[in-house]
Amino acid sequence: MTDLFPPFLIFIAGALLLPLVPNGHPRALVAVIVPVISAYFIWMMPEGMHGQFTLVGQELTLLRVDKLSTIFGLVFSLAAFLALIYAWHVRDTIQQTMALLYAGAAIGAVFAGDLVSLFIFWEGTAIASVFLIWARRTEGAYWTGMRYLIVQVGSGVILLAGMVLQYNETGSMAFEAMTLGGPATWAIFIAFGVKCAFPLLHNWMPDAYPAATVTGTVILSAFTTKLAVYALARGFAGTEILIYIGATMAIFPVFYAVIENDLRRVLTYSLNQQLGFMVVGIGVGTELALNGTVAHAFASILYQALLFMSIGAVLFRTGTARASELGGLYKTMPLTMIFCLIGAASISSFPLFSGFVSKSLILSGSVHEGHYIVWGVLLFASAGAFIHSGIKVPFFAFFAQDSGMRPKEAPWNMLLAMGITAFLCIAIGVYPDPIYALLPYEVVYVPYTTTHVVTQLQLLFFSALAFTVLMRAGIYPTELKSVNLDFDWTYRKLGPALIKGVRSLISSVWGALIGAGLRGVNFGIAALERAHGADGLLARAWPTGSMVLWIAVLLGATLLLNYM
Amino acid sequence: MSSEMKTPETDPSKLPWLGRKLLWLDNTRNVGHIIYALLILCAGLVAADFMYHKHSYLDIEDIPGFYAAFGFLMCAALIVCARVLRVILKRDEDYYSPKDIASEAYPEEQLSRETIND
Repeated sequence: MTDLFPPFLIFIAGALLLPLVPNGHPRALVAVIVPVISAYFIWMMPEGMHGQFTLVGQELTLLRVDKLSTIFGLVFSLAAFLALIYAWHVRDTIQQTMALLYAGAAIGAVFAGDLVSLFIFWEGTAIASVFLIWARRTEGAYWTGMRYLIVQVGSGVILLAGMVLQYNETGSMAFEAMTLGGPATWAIFIAFGVKCAFPLLHNWMPDAYPAATVTGTVILSAFTTKLAVYALARGFAGTEILIYIGATMAIFPVFYAVIENDLRRVLTYSLNQQLGFMVVGIGVGTELALNGTVAHAFASILYQALLFMSIGAVLFRTGTARASELGGLYKTMPLTMIFCLIGAASISSFPLFSGFVSKSLILSGSVHEGHYIVWGVLLFASAGAFIHSGIKVPFFAFFAQDSGMRPKEAPWNMLLAMGITAFLCIAIGVYPDPIYALLPYEVVYVPYTTTHVVTQLQLLFFSALAFTVLMRAGIYPTELKSVNLDFDWTYRKLGPALIKGVRSLISSVWGALIGAGLRGVNFGIAALERAHGADGLLARAWPTGSMVLWIAVLLGATLLLNYM
Repeated sequence: MSSEMKTPETDPSKLPWLGRKLLWLDNTRNVGHIIYALLILCAGLVAADFMYHKHSYLDIEDIPGFYAAFGFLMCAALIVCARVLRVILKRDEDYYSPKDIASEAYPEEQLSRETIND
């Protein structure tokens, strides 16, 4: 059937094997080994189309191996490896197996060469991942998972519709570069956009990611959205509308991240924002910009995971990730604090950290193509990312006011996972060449120039200065126990309220109509009763004399009419 | 930050080594020093703009301290806007409950709440 062993099968085999291994260290070890084997297989795969077979008359390609799919396959394996070390202590079989299936589905999707297999893996990621939310096992998590599943499966259904339309139009199921035009490409584009959390399609993410388990959020943060970035880069590179969608994505979540109290939700908004950078890169579509998107996806999977890991460790030890309840943890969790700061520096693009060497490719890519306003927007977004993820998250968790909590340092497995991730964030920042070598196009870009370093440092330090000044002046919004309305309000409150309103309107109108009808019928019956009832006018026995009298009246009237 | 909240007493010997080494951060005077250091760094970075040849694509980038001013103003604007936005967007934590996790406690059996005193 296939000439190469598809890496996703390793994950499925691992997930099937896992429940048979004794729960505890042996099982955790097996889980961690799976992505290592997968990475080895991906690394060894020769470029080209493999795993082709025909199914009910359709030519399917399980493995399209090129530089674009390989780097995503590798970083997904790496993310799974790190997340599974982080989740070493988890003894919940559902979470263990679903994490593997989820990573496997994501890796299967990036190698899928046709829309049918893409669709299957696309839905696979949706179904496997929802269990990481449900694994929290609370009522809120159950409903959140339901909402998440509806959106994710919905995205798959739209993809399916697009695929069928595409087949109708072109007679091909191949997943190739497309141009936005008819309903087919638009459907596929929107399906990708839902998973990529385009503005107004994004709500599933800040809703669901903070609802997952401590380890589940780390796993969730890596795959679904970056799979969508891959799919957009493969299918819609150079589509201009993506520039504006991406620019909106890069700024719109910033405001929410600044006022949000739940630090895992702050990080979800920042994840959404980082996706905006990648989407801009895809929209610009030049080799430089696409390289930037892929490099940024790689870097951001790592630093975002690192940030989620550090706040997850805080949640694991203190029971909360609310900024309003945390503070002063640096004394007792100093290593977690340092790892968090490394993640923060990476997302903020400090020189020598990973974001610096990846994000700048996208900014240069957009400015080279003359998108000056977009460049300005992205610069603003960079400064914003520094404010909410670079300063706010570590500041309110580890510094700020002492919460009085004295949690122990994170367990060894979490520290190990964070340590490796932090090391990679710095390694990529200091020596980006190995990552550049993996990018789809040749890189002719030098990130470390005096101009770039000095200007970036200016941007960051003056942003920090603004934060400090506004904090001291009491203008910076204090952290309050609250939720903030986002677009999901429309379907969680407005929609139900509208339906309720319409329902009560219809029922009152209906009631009024039925009531009026009944009254009419009753009136009719009463009238009939009056006329034909036992004592009714028409049912009475009349004296003959009165009939003669009335006939005389009638005849008189006729006579009168005749003479007139 | 206001310093009205009393810092709970902690026996430094129970802190991890690194945590002990960082205790100087608790002292408000030292925080003041950090802010001074930040100010000096900022001044130095603007001064640095005059000392090298900038490779720029846009004319606006050539203005000395452009990135500094951009960073400061944009962040200040961002924070002020976010604060105003919150007035409109803020709701109680149980606004969506029970169909949301915001007002729920994280399930205790999935945590490992250990403190340094354990």
